[in-house]
Amino acid sequence: MATEIIRARPPASRFQRLWDEQRDVIIIYGLLLTMVLLAAIFLPDFRLGRNLSNVLRQSVALGIVSIGQTVGILIGGIDLSVGATISLVNVYATGFMANYTTPVQVAGMVVALLALGLVIGAVNATVITRLQVAPFIATMGIGAILQGMVLLYAKKPGGSIAPGWDFFAFGMVGPVPFPVIFTAVLVGITWLALTRTVWGRHVKATGGSELIARLSGVETRRVMTYAYMFCSFMAAMTGLYLASRMGAGDPGVGGLNYDRFDLDSIAAVLIGGTRLGGGKGSVIGTIAGVLIVSVLNNIFNLVGVNPYIQWIIKGLILLGAVAIYSARSSSRS
Amino acid sequence: MTDLIEMRNITKSFPGVVALEDVSFSCRAGEVHAVVGENGAGKSTLMKVLAGVYQPDSGQILIDGQPVHMASPHAAQGLGISIIYQELNLLADMNLAQNVFLGREPHSRLGLTDDKELEVRARDILRRLGIDLDPRTRLGRLSVAQQQMVEIAKALSLNARVVIMDEPSAALGGRDLDYLFDVIRALKEQGVGVIYISHRIAEVFTVADRVTVFKDAKVVGTHSVSQIDRGTLVRLMIGKTFSETFPPRGAEAGPEVLRVEKLSVNTELRDVNLVVRGGEIVGIAGLVGAGRTKLAHAIFGTCKLDHGLIHINGMPSRISSPRHALRHRMGFLTEDRNAEGLVLGQTVLHNAALPSLGNRQRWGVVNRKVERDVINQTTSGLRLRAPSLAAEVENLSGGNRQKVVLAKWLISQPELLIFDEPTRGIDVGAKGDIWQLMRDLANEGKAILMISSELPEIIGMSDRIYVMHSGTIVGERRGAEANEEDVMMLATYGQDHGH
Repeated sequence: MATEIIRARPPASRFQRLWDEQRDVIIIYGLLLTMVLLAAIFLPDFRLGRNLSNVLRQSVALGIVSIGQTVGILIGGIDLSVGATISLVNVYATGFMANYTTPVQVAGMVVALLALGLVIGAVNATVITRLQVAPFIATMGIGAILQGMVLLYAKKPGGSIAPGWDFFAFGMVGPVPFPVIFTAVLVGITWLALTRTVWGRHVKATGGSELIARLSGVETRRVMTYAYMFCSFMAAMTGLYLASRMGAGDPGVGGLNYDRFDLDSIAAVLIGGTRLGGGKGSVIGTIAGVLIVSVLNNIFNLVGVNPYIQWIIKGLILLGAVAIYSARSSSRS
Repeated sequence: MTDLIEMRNITKSFPGVVALEDVSFSCRAGEVHAVVGENGAGKSTLMKVLAGVYQPDSGQILIDGQPVHMASPHAAQGLGISIIYQELNLLADMNLAQNVFLGREPHSRLGLTDDKELEVRARDILRRLGIDLDPRTRLGRLSVAQQQMVEIAKALSLNARVVIMDEPSAALGGRDLDYLFDVIRALKEQGVGVIYISHRIAEVFTVADRVTVFKDAKVVGTHSVSQIDRGTLVRLMIGKTFSETFPPRGAEAGPEVLRVEKLSVNTELRDVNLVVRGGEIVGIAGLVGAGRTKLAHAIFGTCKLDHGLIHINGMPSRISSPRHALRHRMGFLTEDRNAEGLVLGQTVLHNAALPSLGNRQRWGVVNRKVERDVINQTTSGLRLRAPSLAAEVENLSGGNRQKVVLAKWLISQPELLIFDEPTRGIDVGAKGDIWQLMRDLANEGKAILMISSELPEIIGMSDRIYVMHSGTIVGERRGAEANEEDVMMLATYGQDHGH
């Protein structure tokens, strides 16, 4: 009965299918590899083991927050409140640890602050799904509220950390920095959640088209709520990590200083090939985006590029990457 | 055979329009029941009532003889009714199996998806339908016809007892169509009732067991396909009244205004040649997807031409943007006036004034008095029924919205007007108004190019008709001599004597 039209193409090989589904990720890793090779050839300082491990260590904060941002963008939204969330958790953690330093107290604090992250995500999601505020505005508004709370609590850098808390940022497991392993584990868990669970599949479906997902019986509001909670949870984790790295708190660490974690995480996610508007992308691509940003920062510092010019170059790279992706996807359709 | 579903005396009205008037309809298990009629005749509304999208004002729906209440699309789905819309509800970035089972993924207790099981189930359903596709194929790789199969597979996976297909053939042609029919027959063998909405008469005779004809919100009749012939069916669809509602044709056509030579765009248009003269209404007939709208866009400069020449008033002209088109005194009334023709939240005045703003400004400041006068003058000739020029366009009816779009172009005194589906979504009564306006404009000497999917409109309005089929013009007819069946055949098969 079947006519030949149905038989589409000969069954695709494993590699063909991999290329078809993961082309963006493969391309972005190709770009990263090229950058690393060029830097290693032309900059002797770059290829030092110490420098490379430094690059990895410096990509941890951006990496963790970008893992969350990937889910926020994949669901078809965006999260501009991550910067303020990072700052809030950062100042609360260092403020707390300035007075309470026993392991039990610190453990309680970690649980409480990660839970705070989940609450912030749930609030974002409520504003978006119930009050029907566009994610861009909703998270910008919540971010402003959070930043206000940060500055009410701490107007300038201060606080301190409990002994041993520095292990989060500076510990070594054999030759590998602990935070790098930690981030890799988060990436692995997130990758599994997005590709192997019903929730992950529903995140991509909702991002692809909320209407279609809803008509197919997906509880899109719940899926979105969990997505924003995940995103804020990762931001809270980043705040804890930065407390460890700096040994003190800073009300501007997430969004007011030179590192803009809200914008940088969006840049990393988009450079990593996740589609703005949702439905397509992966955390593996995001990591490439994070590493590209970190390697670039490292190269700039080694060469001694003026920081303001760095901003301009980074802006151009972001625009270029997103323009290339959108040109490609519209020509394919 | 007993009736699987039965709809009794359904009436449904929307503000200002009665969409269904005392309509009764039924479908049996293992039957293909075709539903035909012009656009706006009520076919789609009835199906949306059946699928739980609309609630009827009165009437009853029965499944297996038991009255049921379709509170929502979800409830209808639970009762075994699936609807496949023209715009397919599928996700391009997921694979076939994932699309079929979206929202119902087989999973372990931890929420991990079981992709093996997913694939097995998808394969099973594809096999039942005789579809030879790899369930792991990314949906974006499939053709429209194949995607439609995925929708049908999805319906079957929901244990649908009745599958409603809304113009499934609109985007298909040739062998894809045969393939669709094969799958429909497979559904029949599974005992599923299929309701097949179409306005292609030929298909009814290929695939359907019974046919119900809709006209003006009522059922004209339900017939067994074996006991009706093509001519009778066409007469039922058209009714007797249509020729009276169109204004009389005009006198001789004037000089040539538009000449298109060997125009090609991508794969969508091939070597299109046509001429439109002043004082003449030229209709473009063809099925959805034949390239009619693309042609209009190509002439109006909104898409890039690969080849071809456009002459305006005998002069070769390069039109690479709507701005150029305006300068060459063209106007374009798009198919989807709500999305492309009007800013809905703004007033009649602001909408009508938009394309010609530049003519009434000084140093960037609009002369509002002149503007008001010009627009008053233009709209008064259009019998526009709006409370005032300050009324917001979104509060106007379809017919009056179309008049605002028309005013917007008329202000710039165009010589050529392109109408894409000029009366789509407009009440039967208001359609006559639009037709009369179009004829009046032609009588004033303007050249009019009209795209329409409604054959009576094409035949009743046009002085000449071009028929398009897969991207090119396959025939030309004189409006006064054309008949519906001939044009339909040409549009469907692309040649004069199809089977």
